Amino acid sequence: MTPAADTVLHFDQVAITLGGRQILSPVDLSIRRGEFVCVIGPSGCGKTTLLRAAAGFVAPSGGSVQRQGKAITGPSREVAFVFQDYGRALLPWRTVQANVSLALEAAQVPAAERPGRIARVLQTVGLGAHADKFPAQLSGGMQQRVQIARCLAQQPDVMLMDEPFGALDAMTRETLQDELARLVREEGLTVMFVTHDLEEALYLGDRVIALRSNPTAALPSLAALIEVPLPQPRDQLSTKEHPEFLRLRRELYHYLGH
Amino acid sequence: MNRLSTSMVALGNAAGSVLVLGAFIALWWAASTSGWVNRAFLPTPQATLASLVQGLAGGDLAAYTWATLSRMVTGWVLASALGISLGALIGSSVRAREWIAPTLEFIRPLPASAVMPLAIALFGLSGNMVLAVVAFGAMWPVLLATLHGLANVHTQLREVSRSLELGHFNFVLKIGLPNAMPDILAGMRLSLTVSLIVSVVGEMIASQAGLGQAILLAARSFQASDLFAGIVLLGALGFVSNVLLALAERRLLRWQRS
Amino acid sequence: MRALVFPAALLVALELWARTTGQGSDAIAPPSAAVLAFGGALMDGSLLEATAFTLGSAALGLLIGALGGLLLGTLLGLSRRAGQWGYLSVEVARPIPSVALIPLAMLVFGFGLRMEVSVVAFACLWPMLVLTQAAVLQVEPRLLEVARALQLSPLQRFAWIVGPAIVPRLFVALRLGVAIALVVAVTVEIAANPHGMGYAMMIAQQSLDPALMLAWLAWIGVVGYAINVGALALQRWVARRMGEQTA
Repeated sequence: MTPAADTVLHFDQVAITLGGRQILSPVDLSIRRGEFVCVIGPSGCGKTTLLRAAAGFVAPSGGSVQRQGKAITGPSREVAFVFQDYGRALLPWRTVQANVSLALEAAQVPAAERPGRIARVLQTVGLGAHADKFPAQLSGGMQQRVQIARCLAQQPDVMLMDEPFGALDAMTRETLQDELARLVREEGLTVMFVTHDLEEALYLGDRVIALRSNPTAALPSLAALIEVPLPQPRDQLSTKEHPEFLRLRRELYHYLGH
Repeated sequence: MNRLSTSMVALGNAAGSVLVLGAFIALWWAASTSGWVNRAFLPTPQATLASLVQGLAGGDLAAYTWATLSRMVTGWVLASALGISLGALIGSSVRAREWIAPTLEFIRPLPASAVMPLAIALFGLSGNMVLAVVAFGAMWPVLLATLHGLANVHTQLREVSRSLELGHFNFVLKIGLPNAMPDILAGMRLSLTVSLIVSVVGEMIASQAGLGQAILLAARSFQASDLFAGIVLLGALGFVSNVLLALAERRLLRWQRS
Repeated sequence: MRALVFPAALLVALELWARTTGQGSDAIAPPSAAVLAFGGALMDGSLLEATAFTLGSAALGLLIGALGGLLLGTLLGLSRRAGQWGYLSVEVARPIPSVALIPLAMLVFGFGLRMEVSVVAFACLWPMLVLTQAAVLQVEPRLLEVARALQLSPLQRFAWIVGPAIVPRLFVALRLGVAIALVVAVTVEIAANPHGMGYAMMIAQQSLDPALMLAWLAWIGVVGYAINVGALALQRWVARRMGEQTA
């Protein structure tokens, strides 16, 4: 399957075997620029592994992941990765500002340019007033925002998110979902978002991919690939009552292993 | 309990603490003044105080204290610098660590003063000899702490580093060593204790001007009050240096507190 | 056996260097000569005598210091008031470096066993006190409630509840104490006391016998390492037996 011109990420028959077990049977997937693609599935279906293959942390056993037409061989600054465990993804000895700065230092952005870019990115995620705080002084939701801010500072081609709101309470999760949606719209980001929460996937995504665990030839990893034609911008109350939302939810429910 | 009674209790405890210490000093006074313990071994508190004041104001005690202090601090700074650099060098390579770490574990229990005869053979009975042994002996806690801290960088931080394409050197500098900071600071505290001890022993053996030599000479000439005055000063050196370091540690590790 | 490669390489390098450029040095001797010197000391009994003295005084000093620290630490831990009232006295005495007491011990006891034992005992007392106190303070409060509910006498409370609860941590403290005891014993011998391994090493250096000096240095290292390994094994065995996870 040849990818279209505005494809950012292309999974070309990506299969992954770990520890003798086939986690993913060949998956074909293209993610276009500006798309928000959510990946759902039961535990062990390989959704995080698929994401990590795109990040370059895991090498596929078969096929390849391509970014802008070139195969991914390792981690790259242009592919930002947001970890679920925000506590361990931030440097606890650096302030919020300095944590974001890490991305710019790595990219060797000149020191004079950094403060401006950091301030802008912190403003975008709503952390402008907390620039000099340490991660330990922040709530979980705010720490996750710092991580997102750092990823934004990388000015990435694509943002990969591994159940980023999984460790947060329901209210914080909803707030961050709306903020992320706004952010993605404003910055025109391309996002691949892994979650175990079906409603979250339908709420945020333009497309949702469902994966199966223990893939076989008859029942491969890729179980479903559906468009989510719900109106934008999405809203926590009205979108979740939309008949199409409910229909899609019903359709995808059993893919989660229920 | 309301705040007034909690402060009253705290005050009461502080007063009690002072009282108990006072009681011990009174016991000391009684034992020495009455002759129950030979005054040649246990000078009276007044005699000790007199020696202390006399020695500091008019005599050489101030100079001796300064000599021991500077020896201790210089050796400690050298030891810390060496320990961190070598620790970073060895610790930044998993392979180097595997080959070298067991040897270091063998050296860990070795008394720092044990290399003094070797140092005397190499450098003679000099101030530099003492400094060399201090630096060598005090280096190990910091080196081992640096190694330990570097080895325990969380996988997630390593992945963040790879994702940002930080490079090996910057990983060690910006993530590895700061991550090891709590361990390194604890090692430096231990180093300071070793530094003081080896400085005193060195002064005793190599007849270098300082508190160590002073108390040895006092004992040899049966000047018990001078001896006790020296012990008091050494205790004070140990106490103050520890307190200062603890304060510095608190400041440097303030990011740990939420 | 990978662990032995690095030190083996260092020894070979030292051997080569000592036999070529370092020949006739008063400080460096080839490891082979040190081994011979070691054999000599073993044969003439000096090795055993000195080692026995150092280990003996270290053990005795540790016994006294640990017992004292244990007793005081338990008292200060069991009674919150005692702990707080004793705080200043402990904090004043604790920072005194044990080596500062060497001249005093020399004055009171002269040279020999008692002098070394007293310095070692002082050095071991404080860490044992502090760690025992902390261990007692950390006893699970619920266990203490059980003791109250069962109306145990103070002695019973200690023997049946507090004592066993702190045993694993006591052995951790003991392991630390063993290391300190050995280091302080050797240090006292190097600084003043004309007995034991430290002194033997000093004498070897003063008689310009680098081979024997290095032999003693290596032997002190080996003894220290072996004892620490043994103490660690003991500590872990106790922890397993008392139902706690290994450190």
